[in-house]
Amino acid sequence: MLAAPTPDAGDRKIVAFCCRECAYAAADASANARTPLPTTVRLVLMPCTGRVSPLHLLSALAEGADGVMVAGCLLGQCHYREGNFNAVDRVAFVQRLLKSVGVEPERCRMFTMSAGEPPKFVAAVREMDRAIVALPPLPRSAPDGRGVAAGAPVAVGGAA
Amino acid sequence: MPLTHRGREILERVPGGTLRSTAGVGCEIVRHEELCVGCGKCATNCPSGASERGDSFDVNQLLDAPADSRRGALGAALRRLMRHEPDGPVEVPERVTVYRTIVYDDERCLGCGTCARGCPAEAIEARPPKADAAPGVAPATTAGAAAAGAAVGA
Repeated sequence: MLAAPTPDAGDRKIVAFCCRECAYAAADASANARTPLPTTVRLVLMPCTGRVSPLHLLSALAEGADGVMVAGCLLGQCHYREGNFNAVDRVAFVQRLLKSVGVEPERCRMFTMSAGEPPKFVAAVREMDRAIVALPPLPRSAPDGRGVAAGAPVAVGGAA
Repeated sequence: MPLTHRGREILERVPGGTLRSTAGVGCEIVRHEELCVGCGKCATNCPSGASERGDSFDVNQLLDAPADSRRGALGAALRRLMRHEPDGPVEVPERVTVYRTIVYDDERCLGCGTCARGCPAEAIEARPPKADAAPGVAPATTAGAAAAGAAVGA
């Protein structure tokens, strides 16, 4: 999974929560085919995207990720019947939470693909990478910090 | 031990006049908001509709939750990212079964404790009425029954 770094990626990170049944298999296949992936992405193997909780997504963002993505099976093709439907709604919930406190909701996204579609996985990761690199690094305050995140753009903070 | 308003109302209507047992009604319902995960099971189980499960969620409930609680962990992560105070309640998608605002109406509560028995987070406590609370209730009940009997006799 070696790849040339995206030119202006900086040290931005994307955490991709991948379903074992589809997206992770697709990632594996794309790696076997030596398709370069953006260096920003870190894969996390999940048994099903239904295991992904809002806490996983928000903690990843709070602890250093600039974006999180959930990659699961096509809707209706979940190995556990409806895990990915749960994931879709949880991602939507996290997006609304982020939006309500002034963080770009596109930092958290859901993608679906089947195990036989490595190009679709690669396309999803590249799309996420482009979106995150286009955004400024995600500002965050100290763990026990209260209030506005350090380094938050004034314009964004004042827009509320 | 104070009975809830509605619980007392029910006890006063007990036919027969004497109060034999307060089992089933009149418990004091103590809600520990910090333990609540917002699943709404209390609302599903509530026979009188005193608890209602909302479709929206006040983000401040996450931010203000104690750090060692379930909600507090999510709130702590969100607090690190926040750029301004929450805009207002967010709509919760259907399949997000927790993180919901539960509206509890004291006036409609029977004090039956069904919510406490069904609470998976043990966030609701139903304290049974103490024995010494019964005399406070019984005279009212017997008086009501006597009045009812007089009305029937007349």
